Amino acid sequence: MAAAIEVSEVSKTFRIPHEQRTFFKEYFLHPFRRPSYERNEALKAVTFSVESGEFFGVIGPNGSGKSTLLRILAGIYVPDSGRVRVRGLLSPFIELGVGFNPELSARDNIRMNGTLAGLTKRELEAKFDDILGFSELERFVDQKLKNYSSGMLVRLAYSIAIQIPFDVLLLDEVLAVGDEAFQEKCFATFDSFKEEGKTVVFVSHALDLMERFCDRCLLLQSGMVQALGSPHEVADLYRERVLVG
Amino acid sequence: MTGIAYYLRVLRVVGAIDFKAKYTDAALGYVWSLVKPLAYFAVLWLVFAHLLLTANQTDDFTVFLLIGILLFLFFIDAVSAMLPSIVDGGATLRRLAFPPIMIPLSASVAIGITFCVNVSAFAVFAAIQRVEPRIEWLLVVPLLAELYLFTVGLGLLLSALYVRFRDVGQVWELAAQLLFFASAIFYPIGILPDWAQKVAFLNPFVQVMQDIRHVVLGGASGPNDLTAGDVFAGAGGRLIPISIVVLVFVAALVFFRREGRYFAERL
Ligand SMILES: Nc1ncnc2c1ncn2[C@@H]1O[C@H](COP(=O)(O)OP(=O)(O)OP(=O)(O)O)[C@@H](O)[C@H]1O
Ligand SMILES: [Mg+2]
Repeated sequence: MAAAIEVSEVSKTFRIPHEQRTFFKEYFLHPFRRPSYERNEALKAVTFSVESGEFFGVIGPNGSGKSTLLRILAGIYVPDSGRVRVRGLLSPFIELGVGFNPELSARDNIRMNGTLAGLTKRELEAKFDDILGFSELERFVDQKLKNYSSGMLVRLAYSIAIQIPFDVLLLDEVLAVGDEAFQEKCFATFDSFKEEGKTVVFVSHALDLMERFCDRCLLLQSGMVQALGSPHEVADLYRERVLVG
Repeated sequence: MTGIAYYLRVLRVVGAIDFKAKYTDAALGYVWSLVKPLAYFAVLWLVFAHLLLTANQTDDFTVFLLIGILLFLFFIDAVSAMLPSIVDGGATLRRLAFPPIMIPLSASVAIGITFCVNVSAFAVFAAIQRVEPRIEWLLVVPLLAELYLFTVGLGLLLSALYVRFRDVGQVWELAAQLLFFASAIFYPIGILPDWAQKVAFLNPFVQVMQDIRHVVLGGASGPNDLTAGDVFAGAGGRLIPISIVVLVFVAALVFFRREGRYFAERL
């Protein structure tokens, strides 16, 4: 079966500025001095591939590069080097959201996100009720998102992410702030994605969920692939290497 | 996600949402989009048609003034809305992959809607003033297109620069205030000395405004009905502000494309 995602030798370095140069003044005062930076290698030559229809887990400590990796897969960040190839339509859910404007109502945010993600007017109308229905936020549809609770935001964001037509779904910490009921709902969708043969990349800190849902699991540490294999083995390795120290 | 249909759909939907959002919490809603130019008009008309008698220098001072105000507010409001749009739209850019140019473009569309509302009101006013419609008025359309191109170019450039340098906001705010006094909105450009006229016409906004006044009023504003061709000696001179538009627009697209790849990580 063809790989849904191929990542080869992907590296990404961020610069941590030692002085903030967001004002002209610094340029006028020191036109020739290059600002001093510390290099932060968030991803170092990361290589792996995900089979079509696979439920693929990514684990790793805070700051290990998981969200950065997902952003590169989604085309939000540009890698410094290496190649990324994703086959099919992709829907991202990254760091607790899909990109909301807090000053707009849920209604406008759904329309804005859906349209930016490529839905036509008719598709959007057809999906609109499903999105609200799944998130169970019908009552709050015209309330501005800045007045939503964080759990409500995640419900809405997840509902949008899974209603956009996709072959590959990226999920970054979907379950972090949702309540029990919502988690059960998510698990049910995970099962149906597996049945439908969708490819899912799942980032979470909950190792038991990795073991429950994933076909394979990748362990990232300091931007490097430490292990790739069955979820049990990788989770055990993670427990022993990282958690114990 | 690259087809023209996608672009138009996003501009329509997001532009309309932006436009609506500006007025949702205002009791008078869309009425405000009319109040702003009217308030400018009332004050400037009172001062210059009655107290300082600039009206003597032009026959149709009311229409002359209204054209200046409507165009100026569109130009300034559109650039001012585009400028912070990338930074303000950071949450979306950091979570969804789409062409970042959609954000400032949608902001310009929202201001464009306001402009259209105002122009409709202006048309009613012109009818009451019994300004005879003429076939040359069609020239206004390409002139507005030129102004839109210039506005979008400047807005894209500033919005991308603003991601790196927050000073750009201050610079633009000051520039907008100075331009209001320097751009012959409420006085005939002919009262400026020659050199100042030449400087003023380097700004494509002034060229478009003067051309539209010329077209709509049909030369009725007399010796002060100057256009770029008059000021830069000869028809070739008309090309100067137009080349500036092309230059700004192309530079903006190139710069925006280059910077746009990194907006998400810099926000
Ligand atoms: N836009 C950015 N600019 C600078 N540094 C960044 C940027 N995005 C991420 N980083 C850095 O890259 C590293 C990896 O961050 P990332 O968000 O990918 O971690 P993570 O594995 O998702 O962590 P967590 O489990 O806390 O979500 C961090 O050191 C972070 O500071
Ligand atoms: Mg993360």
